Amino acid sequence: MGIDKPGILGSGSPTFLTTKLDFVVNWARRNSLWPMPFGTACCAIEMMASAASNYDLARFGMERMSFSPRQADVLICAGRVPYKLAPVLRRIWDQMMQPKWCISMGACASSGGVFDVYSMVQGIDTIVPVDVYIPGCPPRPEGLIYGLMMVQEKIRGESLAYHDELRAEDPLAVGRPRADDEEVADLTGPFGNSTHQNRVSGLVDTDAIGRAEDRLP
Amino acid sequence: MTGDPSSGGPFSGFDLVAAGPGVSRDDSGEAAARDRVAPGNPSVTALRDQFPGAVFRNEICAGDEDVVYVDPERITEMLGWLHNDPEQHYDHLADITAVDYGGGRPIEVVYQLWSIPHRAALRVKCELSLDALEIESITGIWVGADWLEREVYDLFGITFTGHPDLRRILMPENYAEGYPLRKDFPLRGRFSRAEQTRRALTQDPEDYYVPGEIAERVPQVVEPAAGEEGDAEGVG
Repeated sequence: MGIDKPGILGSGSPTFLTTKLDFVVNWARRNSLWPMPFGTACCAIEMMASAASNYDLARFGMERMSFSPRQADVLICAGRVPYKLAPVLRRIWDQMMQPKWCISMGACASSGGVFDVYSMVQGIDTIVPVDVYIPGCPPRPEGLIYGLMMVQEKIRGESLAYHDELRAEDPLAVGRPRADDEEVADLTGPFGNSTHQNRVSGLVDTDAIGRAEDRLP
Repeated sequence: MTGDPSSGGPFSGFDLVAAGPGVSRDDSGEAAARDRVAPGNPSVTALRDQFPGAVFRNEICAGDEDVVYVDPERITEMLGWLHNDPEQHYDHLADITAVDYGGGRPIEVVYQLWSIPHRAALRVKCELSLDALEIESITGIWVGADWLEREVYDLFGITFTGHPDLRRILMPENYAEGYPLRKDFPLRGRFSRAEQTRRALTQDPEDYYVPGEIAERVPQVVEPAAGEEGDAEGVG
């Protein structure tokens, strides 16, 4: 475990002792991350594959999927989130105990993906704070495992001394949008594949659909 | 034009797009010929005889699918007859949906019927003008029409009079941007993303269900038939 390395335990310096406590706490936290699976779409299938025997997420401490937010450490949002589901996601996040982390798995959870439409949340970071974004549509299990190991790396760098400042949330903001209006507008701006942007660019005439020759085999 | 596929010159998808909408194939003669050979659904003739003046027109689409355009005022009467008449016996309501063709044209409400004993399908359509989007509910004929009508109400804004519980079913209860499947509805909704996020988070997930809906869900007890009381003992 490295705790009995010379120089770590042997020094009498209080600052040094704090660092050691951080190490022990972080070591325990990062090696027993229990994910709260919030799977809404095809990304969840890859998440199941990651947990199954071939990839075996339990090797890295995600010993079991915690289907109760009360016992979970990391929220994995796998899949698209419609606005109707947004309060549910927010409530699950609020129910999780501190310390907690959040992974946004896949293009839809991270940015809305191809669903740039009226019903879809354009990135869950407007609803909950996200620690790691995993790109892909859907990401392979290796991608999810890599994302979880990035969370582990993040935990490794955390300290009890400034933990509260890092992770505390405004109690008044619970159940409200995480970002303010301007930030939401920035985050959800049109991307390259957006219908709006194509129309503005003049590249695509949106009336050019339904032509007879397009339907011919 | 270099992008003309018929000229044999090089062309790409962008050339096709730049060319814009072409002229539709004129298949009126072909369609007419197809309609002549199609046998047609006998229910259409029977419906015309039973309700003179209420069947506006009928057509056969996709080869053998009969479509009947009827008077919206008499929809429950006609569907009730199609359901109850032993010759017709359309006992299965496969779907209720609606079509908005845009451009101020009327919205069509579509009833897709299926007769299990006769193995026959019939599509009944009603055209509703945009200023009078109201039609009588058919939940009295098929109870399963309940959620289908709610869906059409939710996404097209068509009011079904006499529906027992007409409220939104897919969109959130506090949704105030209109009816998403209308042609004049913008792809991203009418509010800004920030406003949509704020509205979404102000609602309580438990508001989706009215208390009565949950309270009515009592466990079903299957009464054993008179003859098989002995067999049913100890079950459950």
